[in-house]
Amino acid sequence: MRGLARGLFASVVLLSASACGVGCRAAKAEDTGDTLIVGAYSAPREAFEEAVIPAFRAAWRRQTGRDIVVRASYLGSGAQARAIAQGFEADVAVLALDSDVDKLVKAALVAPDWRARTGGAGLMARSLVVIAVRSGNPKGIADWADLGRPGVEVLTPNPRTSGGAMWNLLAVYGSAAGDVKAKSAAVARVLDNVIVMDKAARESLVSFERGIGDAAITYEQEVHVARRAGRHYDYVVPPATAVIDVPMATVDRYADAHGRRAVAEAFVAFLRSRQGQALLGGFGFRPATGPIDLPGDARFPAAGHPFTAADFGGWKKIAPGLFAPDTGAITRVLDATREDREALR
Amino acid sequence: MKPGRALLGGAVVIYVGILLIAPIGAIAWSALRSGPAAFLRALAGSGGGFALLLSIGLAALAVVVNTVFGVVVAWVLTRDEFRGRGLLNAAVDMPFAISPVIVGFALILLFGPQGWFGGLVRALHAKIVFAVPGMALATIFVSLPFVIREVGLVLAESGHDQEEAAYTLGATPFGAFWRVTLPNIRWGLLYGVLLTTARCLGEFGAVLVVSGGLAQVTETGTLFVFRSLEDRRDLGAYAMAMALAGMSILLIAGMEILKRRRAGANPRQGGALRVA
Amino acid sequence: MKAARPTAGALSLRVVAVAFLGVMVALPLAAVVGSVLTGPGGVGTALHALLSRTARAALWLTVWTAVVVALVNAVMGTLTAWVLSRYHFVGKAILNAAIDLPFAIPTLVTGLMLVVLYGPQQVIGHLLAAHGLRLLFAPAGIILSLLFVTFPFVVRAVEPVLMDIDVDQEEAAATLGSSPFRTFVQVVLPALRPAVLTATLLTFTRALGEFGAVVVVAGNIPRRTLTAPVYVFGAIESGEPAAASAMSLVLVAVSAGLILAVDRYTRSRARAMGVRV
Repeated sequence: MRGLARGLFASVVLLSASACGVGCRAAKAEDTGDTLIVGAYSAPREAFEEAVIPAFRAAWRRQTGRDIVVRASYLGSGAQARAIAQGFEADVAVLALDSDVDKLVKAALVAPDWRARTGGAGLMARSLVVIAVRSGNPKGIADWADLGRPGVEVLTPNPRTSGGAMWNLLAVYGSAAGDVKAKSAAVARVLDNVIVMDKAARESLVSFERGIGDAAITYEQEVHVARRAGRHYDYVVPPATAVIDVPMATVDRYADAHGRRAVAEAFVAFLRSRQGQALLGGFGFRPATGPIDLPGDARFPAAGHPFTAADFGGWKKIAPGLFAPDTGAITRVLDATREDREALR
Repeated sequence: MKPGRALLGGAVVIYVGILLIAPIGAIAWSALRSGPAAFLRALAGSGGGFALLLSIGLAALAVVVNTVFGVVVAWVLTRDEFRGRGLLNAAVDMPFAISPVIVGFALILLFGPQGWFGGLVRALHAKIVFAVPGMALATIFVSLPFVIREVGLVLAESGHDQEEAAYTLGATPFGAFWRVTLPNIRWGLLYGVLLTTARCLGEFGAVLVVSGGLAQVTETGTLFVFRSLEDRRDLGAYAMAMALAGMSILLIAGMEILKRRRAGANPRQGGALRVA
Repeated sequence: MKAARPTAGALSLRVVAVAFLGVMVALPLAAVVGSVLTGPGGVGTALHALLSRTARAALWLTVWTAVVVALVNAVMGTLTAWVLSRYHFVGKAILNAAIDLPFAIPTLVTGLMLVVLYGPQQVIGHLLAAHGLRLLFAPAGIILSLLFVTFPFVVRAVEPVLMDIDVDQEEAAATLGSSPFRTFVQVVLPALRPAVLTATLLTFTRALGEFGAVVVVAGNIPRRTLTAPVYVFGAIESGEPAAASAMSLVLVAVSAGLILAVDRYTRSRARAMGVRV
């Protein structure tokens, strides 16, 4: 028994020592330069891991002769912005909303002129809010109003944690005709049919792929990624929908603290370069600049008449306006009961 | 067997079968149906190996900390008497009461950049939240009570006579502890350690809040499961789930065997496993 | 060992114990309490967040599902302990082992298992959906996952008591003509009551704070399937610390209060029975 106890104790000490060693080594590797930490939202995961990051590493090696490790974290956009503000030391941030980037500006982590510094209005890429449906579109969904029909089960992520969800709701709201009341009613009808609210855009679509729901409000880009992963289903671009802007910025404070500003800016520039944009296009992102409709590209269906966040004053107006806690039009619909929503109609 | 008994026994078996065994069977089947090679590949791929090691490492650390301090606390609770001991006793049970997300939240409140010790952390260039130390603290917290409670049970039952006898024979307090107390509490200690380990391997909510979700750096086994689901690597998720569950099941099974041996050695103490 | 004055050794042990628990337990709790008082906007904002309909609905859902789970466990747990201690049949060892499974399974995996078993692409899920019943992403799923996670508490608390009960008393009652059921109610149950009571309260407390199993299974729709811990998580993730603090404080206060009550009760009973506490 003595021997056993000693043996157990020794192995436990050894294990914890190795855990500390592993943890310390991981931390050390970050500190000896030529590492880059990226804080991204959930959608670009495959595009980065499978194409962009390997290509960037190759380009970096060609340019500087040195190897580089790029580590990326993928969370819901709101969650990622919070994490970075709370001390997750990312050098580059790629988020779903520019108001999430502005949160980092407020936390004095990103310079206020980040859009100019990133270039191209601060965007990595764009996409569209679309409706994913089962193969063959059995429920005949063509527009937002169809999502409000009785018996249609809808998936969308939770706007509190997912920037993608905010785009989704903006698309529904913005595409509806009429005044604030009518637009709110349109959102209410769709929300009544939502059966699951996941934390992030990706989780929401994965739930859809598990057979849950009839339709998922999602990014066009996400559906393309799903197809690459062998999940095949259809998606519908409603006649009026929102153009999704995907902002990115160097997190100046951390990049400078780590001495990695050059790398960070190189990564941002790479994403905006022709090679970067082409790689992103392979994963369903539409280009950051230029027309949103790509008639020559068979991968991307016609875009209809999408509106942009700028049409509503930009997220700096929309976030504290439509999504204001308690008083915003969309927030009120989110918080309302079924009975309240009946009244809103 | 009388019909009433058969009915009751059957009802219980069916309840346990549907509630506990069916779900585990379902996930075991999902994990293993592609064969062991695919299982291992899914488990090790995409940072799974690191995640598993990190889970084990955090558990080991929590075991060490909670055992050393836990024995002290158990000793103080059962052998000492002073005002406020009741409060101390209640404090030990708190980790059972607090939701894991609140644990993570509390750590951010304490060690985040705007936290109580935020300035101190920054001054020391230390990384607590969104790094392994924060996850270690969370794991230690949630698994705190087990060793204390199990050892406390044994200490309370066994009484102080043997130690007092050792003192009168001239043993130092530490000597008496090492040679008299420790052998007495070894089964309780072992139970506590096994429960602690199982709890640590399964921790999710607190580390979800407090880690940065960086694969190969701050991702534990449970976080790996979560990410794998999002990455559309279902087999990876099921494989890691089975690995974590399997390790704990082995530990708990070992505990049952030990319980039986212990019951054989001392019938009065057998089976009394305080669980909460 | 009621010393007139504690030795230096005993004193230092006390200091270590108090310091450890103070840092590991009291400090986080204080941080949660403090965040309500000193957070942005102070108590007012926190209270406002707590009184929102989403928060109130989350709290209500959490409480009533925890109550249901506690009651079901009280009954099924006791019955299971009875079967374990009084019956002998083939496969009893498997039953015994199965009961400890929830301790071994990470809570996230619990939720995952339920999705795998009852998801719409599975046989059972299909059947249920055909009858218009929803198990997942509904309170039923929350209750099911909580039942899994809390199952062992009552069973393992009642088992030792049952084994200690004087079987002679039961046999005496039987010879006096009492039916097995009456024996159970009048002889056995009173002896079990303390264990069942404390274990049920602990089950309730545990169910109140459950996150991993619920977040995967519940659907998390505000006001419909959003529980309090998932609400806290959402508040943390969306940068609403006041809401997170307020709800955390409520959960902690309720759970801590129950733990204290159970603790008091256990100790007073033990004292009454002459056991040193």
